[in-house]
Amino acid sequence: MYRYDEFDHAFVSARVDQFKDQVERRLAGELTEDQFRPLRLMNGVYLQLHAYMLRVAIPYGTLSSRQMRKLAHIARHYDRGYGHFTTRQNLQYNWPALKDMPKVLDELASVEMHALQTSGNCIRNVTADHFAGAAADEVADPRPYAEILRQWSSMHPEFSYLPRKFKIAVTGAERDRAAIQVHDIGLHLKKNEAGDLGFAVYVGGGQGRTPMVAKKIRDFLPVEDLLTYTTAIMRVYNLNGRRDNKYKARIKILVHETGTEELTRQVETEWQVLKDSDLKLPQQDVDAIDSYFRAPNLPQRPEGWSGLAAARKADHAFATWVDQNVTPHKNPDYGVVTISLKPIGGIPGDATDAQMDLVADIAEKFSQDEIRVSHEQNLVLPHVAIADLRIVYDLLLTDGLATANAGLITDIIACPGLDYCALANARSIPVAQRISERFGQPDRQADIGELKIKISGCINACGHHHVGHIGILGVEKKGEELYQISLGGSGDEICTIGDITGRGFSSEEIVDAVETIVDRYLEIRTDKEETFLAAYRRVGAAPFKDALYSEAANAA
Amino acid sequence: MSDISEKPAGELWGREGFREDLYITATSLDEAGDAPAVILPLAVWLGLEDDVRFATNRRIGVSVAPGENIEPLLGLLDRIPLIALEFPAFNDGRSYSKAEMLKNQRHFKGELRAVGDVLIDQVAYMLRTGFDTLKVSHAVTLERLADHNLHDVPVYYQPGRGSHTAPGTYSWRRVPVA
Repeated sequence: MYRYDEFDHAFVSARVDQFKDQVERRLAGELTEDQFRPLRLMNGVYLQLHAYMLRVAIPYGTLSSRQMRKLAHIARHYDRGYGHFTTRQNLQYNWPALKDMPKVLDELASVEMHALQTSGNCIRNVTADHFAGAAADEVADPRPYAEILRQWSSMHPEFSYLPRKFKIAVTGAERDRAAIQVHDIGLHLKKNEAGDLGFAVYVGGGQGRTPMVAKKIRDFLPVEDLLTYTTAIMRVYNLNGRRDNKYKARIKILVHETGTEELTRQVETEWQVLKDSDLKLPQQDVDAIDSYFRAPNLPQRPEGWSGLAAARKADHAFATWVDQNVTPHKNPDYGVVTISLKPIGGIPGDATDAQMDLVADIAEKFSQDEIRVSHEQNLVLPHVAIADLRIVYDLLLTDGLATANAGLITDIIACPGLDYCALANARSIPVAQRISERFGQPDRQADIGELKIKISGCINACGHHHVGHIGILGVEKKGEELYQISLGGSGDEICTIGDITGRGFSSEEIVDAVETIVDRYLEIRTDKEETFLAAYRRVGAAPFKDALYSEAANAA
Repeated sequence: MSDISEKPAGELWGREGFREDLYITATSLDEAGDAPAVILPLAVWLGLEDDVRFATNRRIGVSVAPGENIEPLLGLLDRIPLIALEFPAFNDGRSYSKAEMLKNQRHFKGELRAVGDVLIDQVAYMLRTGFDTLKVSHAVTLERLADHNLHDVPVYYQPGRGSHTAPGTYSWRRVPVA
């Protein structure tokens, strides 16, 4: 894991001191809310429906046990005993008092964390594959490059007042778990024929009210050009991105209106000026950052496999959990464990202080002191020996953290929605809870198989509904909450935006509507191997629309 | 409509402190009268004949709005005494990129000036992207500048003006020149 050096410490503590001064001036009435607003946003402090919210950056979703314990401590002492893990691998506290914010930032700084650039029209927290450094299918660990980007983008003098927020994601495997094609810049770390590392560069993906899949503008960018090329993209965007309309200000609109070819030409032209500048990365610096992320020395634990077979046979629930929540590791004696934060009927992404402490303890003993936050709002233990799966499972079970639903229909992404968010038109969490309860029976979910439901409470799409296999968007119509359904979206390497089925459904109808879709899928799938997404891609929307609307018509 | 040209409101500030502003801003040379130093809008400046634009008995600077392209200036940089980049609102960041291109990449030797909504929280960024001077009218910003409180951080994660490389750390990092 990356560790702060003196340079990083000096930077973060200076920023905390500045913000302390600003909070004091605000509390003393020297700053109005309007004047305070841009300052607090730079420090991750939002004003929500009911209270201030603090969004803590978790760079590329990687945490140590010590950091997780600190997050638990803050939840316990400054909030109401829980935190909310977000789709950007961050953590949000919903109820901290403004007067406590500087103290909370001090606490975070003591474990090398901060809340910088989790808001505002700047380059936000850089995200990465949550299985980075562990997954069997990985070409190389994307996190060193995410870390270089994190440093370079911190308080960037040229790029702190962009037309709009800017999100970068990096993945190091063909299987895209970081949804890079729905980011402003998506980087796919790969090797060329000569065996050198570089990036395929995607630009202009995003969700919101105008969802777009990113365009590839470079098939292979050598590692040394990472910062110069990113600078060229950022500069073209900063100069030409629209500033007349907030909803057309993301780079996806610039790419769309300029055309991919012309935009690529502009980027390449600017890059000619930059490519040999001070930002060209020396290999020694890449190596130095890379060394922080070197794979841990995992002892041989071959005994795990025989024990696992027996444990599976003895306990059906454990076997289901292993099947669903454990992913192959680079080292065959190990597995990557997904800790579901989606208990049946629970709030997606929420964790209590006690749960965070428990995860920290487990990670310390059984996962090389490492934890990840996934953009699917779950936690990950990246390096668990197969031999330790049973004990890890038993420990997780003690506090409701062993739900065996990773990737299944109840592993729902949902934004905070109208329960918290000032922008929302409709509630998201209660819909997620009701769907979870409807499909919560383990055998039923297992039979349905992989199915990603994603719910947003407004068109800003924080719940990623556009890339949900089933996407649900809450809208407000004549004072009623109404839910629109889209089908066939996907945020992985074959990235697609879902198709809207038709008229929306009321809060009472929406869960039935989802069930209608699922039932139709079960009828038409060729066999259990054909997932919902595969079936949808084969048959298209018609059978589902038919089921949804002809039944509704019959009922009316 | 008045045809009397005016000094732009506010005080002129640079790294060395407050200084006298020798320039006036005008919308045309006629309006500028016989002022020895004048800043004209880009379109007007581009419309001048070379012998007028680069006259040796007066200085004619050029002001560029965020939406205007600096491309036509790039071939003339060694003859332009002053370029003013406008910040109509503090959150319009286009002029930072232009400053970076003019000063840090094309080594413009003349005065690069920030005008408009110049606030204390942006001052450090402006200096680092290459601005020499800032035209400041915001009261709190004037106070802070007078106190030499630039609201800056002690280390930078990017190359830029007014900083140097630090031994023993990564190539992109810089520390401010003392």
